[in-house]
Amino acid sequence: MQDDLIIKTTNLTKSYGPHVALNKLNLSVPKGATGLLGPNGAGKSTFLKTILGLIQTTEGEGTVLGLNIRTQGDEIRSRIGYMPEYDCLNPDMEAIHQVRYSGELLGMNPTIALARAHETLQYVGLGEQRYRNIGSYSTGMKQATKLACALIHDPELIIADEPSNGLDISARNYMIETLTHTVKTGNRSVLMASHLMDDVERVCENFILLHKGKLAAQGRIEDLKAFDREIEIHVWGGASRLEEAMIARGMGVRREGRVMRILHEQEDTTSMILQCAADVGAQIRRMHEYEASLEDLFLSIMENLGYEVKTSEDLLSSPAQARKVDAPGYMGGGSA
Amino acid sequence: MTTSENTPPMAAAITPQPVEYAAETPVTGKVRLEAAWGSTEGDEDFTTTASSAPKPDGQVFKPQYKQWNGQLNPRWMRNWAILRHHLLGIFKKGHRPWGMPIRLYLLVVFIASLTDVGLTLVSALIGDSGLHSIWGVSRDNLYGHVLGFFPRNMLYYPVIAALLVGGVISEDRQHGTSALYFSRPITRFDYVGMKFLSVALIQGLIILVSLSLYYFAEIAAMGRGWAWIIDTLPMFLATVFSAVLLIFTYTSIGLSLSSVSKGKFFPGIALLSIILGTKILAFIVSNLFDREILYLISPYDCLAHVGQAIIGTQPTYDQYSWTWSLASLVAMNALALYVLTTRVSSMEVTRE
Ligand SMILES: Nc1ncnc2c1ncn2[C@@H]1O[C@H](COP(=O)(O)OP(=O)(O)O)[C@@H](O)[C@H]1O
Ligand SMILES: [Mg+2]
Repeated sequence: MQDDLIIKTTNLTKSYGPHVALNKLNLSVPKGATGLLGPNGAGKSTFLKTILGLIQTTEGEGTVLGLNIRTQGDEIRSRIGYMPEYDCLNPDMEAIHQVRYSGELLGMNPTIALARAHETLQYVGLGEQRYRNIGSYSTGMKQATKLACALIHDPELIIADEPSNGLDISARNYMIETLTHTVKTGNRSVLMASHLMDDVERVCENFILLHKGKLAAQGRIEDLKAFDREIEIHVWGGASRLEEAMIARGMGVRREGRVMRILHEQEDTTSMILQCAADVGAQIRRMHEYEASLEDLFLSIMENLGYEVKTSEDLLSSPAQARKVDAPGYMGGGSA
Repeated sequence: MTTSENTPPMAAAITPQPVEYAAETPVTGKVRLEAAWGSTEGDEDFTTTASSAPKPDGQVFKPQYKQWNGQLNPRWMRNWAILRHHLLGIFKKGHRPWGMPIRLYLLVVFIASLTDVGLTLVSALIGDSGLHSIWGVSRDNLYGHVLGFFPRNMLYYPVIAALLVGGVISEDRQHGTSALYFSRPITRFDYVGMKFLSVALIQGLIILVSLSLYYFAEIAAMGRGWAWIIDTLPMFLATVFSAVLLIFTYTSIGLSLSSVSKGKFFPGIALLSIILGTKILAFIVSNLFDREILYLISPYDCLAHVGQAIIGTQPTYDQYSWTWSLASLVAMNALALYVLTTRVSSMEVTRE
């Protein structure tokens, strides 16, 4: 399991003068796609820059791909692809040459860099536009170019800071798809920072939630969503009778008009619901597992955290909360 | 993914009652709201409804992720890339975009710097020794090629330096391209060193190449032998050294100005006003009060003074020793390089 970790930090702290941007972070990021979540100012970008060795840590240690962030920054930076949050492209250059140059800056031969620049720009969806000046690009195309710059040397780990920031729906979808594709078929790891739950949910299996420079929660998105699992049914005809019947059987039912949610506690909850419906003659039009959206969970976690919570332990201190972040032990999530 | 907005209209067409949501519609807030606040409570009579299967989304063709297993070259190759980026940009597209006016001015200055080459050739062709004694290679003419004030150090070399240093660091702050450098295995020292070297080399291409052409034109046109070459080589090399000193000084002052600004124009204008302004101030003071001491704050005059001493022409600054000027030059360069290094080492990785 330990071999699968690509990033590990212990007590990582970064202060800007008196302002503590990262507060004693103990994180482990496994292979695959991980979302770094948190509201603006949570310290996401600071975390990414610290693990790249771009800014000096105030305290604490960390490794990326087994390399020390304090001493082996150069080596880390040749093995990852970093997509910065803000503009980093020369508007007077053509995308193809900008991407090629970014490859040359890694030490690639000019000819090889040019060939790779064509490949990666094609991959991020800038097929025909790659000979245009970047100044004439839309935000989405600029983001895609930035991604191409990060992918040019086929890095093991792609670190993307707010990759879908400021994009319209279709550009955003395309960016998200490209990242997903890179993880799924390219078999590369991605660490993406975002304040948009939706994006992370679509790309990543794991998440890390930062809040005010502290670790609020981390784990598998699947586990996070597994809490309060309910079955949602849509009923036509005899909804009230069905509700009564199910309550009579001791099932936990919540009802909002024709929509009901039944606590999914046992294996046979589904068949019990169907049995009740058959008994009372109600029609179930739709039945599915209800999953809270990550956004909902995020809000409820933040709410529960207040501003005082320091670590995920606090989150796990109550049994009800524990189910929310049922992270595996190796991710620092402590089993509930 | 289907949402209630793009449910095929077919579902509604064969439905006797309005259907708020199709069977496959995911439960969104809107549907829940409808269910919670809608007029019916779910206890209505049965009616037939139907819904069609959601259409699969059109899949955009995604190119395959292509792996690359090549080897990354070491540090010198990365530095070479930075240097080439800036140098080749002068000549062709695809590298650092230097503005057309800058490239034109470089060409004009290069051609203008060749006037003494041309006149040497002309006088050799005509065979007029009077003309040749004016234009041929001599201590004064070698000095003049690099350090003459008008026009070379008023219109040519400082202006070139100003045009070149203008954006060379400040553009990286402006566009955020510094992130492209610093998120790669490139140290700040290499970054600033290569920028310095590129700007200096472009100036060297003009000043040193035209100087060498001048010297070789004399050898070729006048049929100079080894005796002459041995005789004049020391002053030629002294001139080369003065030129290197001049390029270094203009570049370090210029780049330090570029590192403290975000724009293109400030560094250029500031460099010109420093070089020409101090010169004019010192000139006025020396004329009015007969005090030459202010020449020590003028980079050009210090360069000229040191140049006169090592090339061996008649000194025009005679109130103090040339070593003072050399010390002043060292101090100016040290200050400029200090500003440059501190600014670059504290430069934000991404856009500020
Ligand atoms: N260079 C800096 N100097 C001082 N404070 C900074 C600097 N960079 C970031 N910060 C502060 O650190 C905190 C975290 O910033 P950041 O990592 O950019 O957050 P995020 O990316 O999550 O929005 C913010 O409060 C921000 O104001
Ligand atoms: Mg950020």
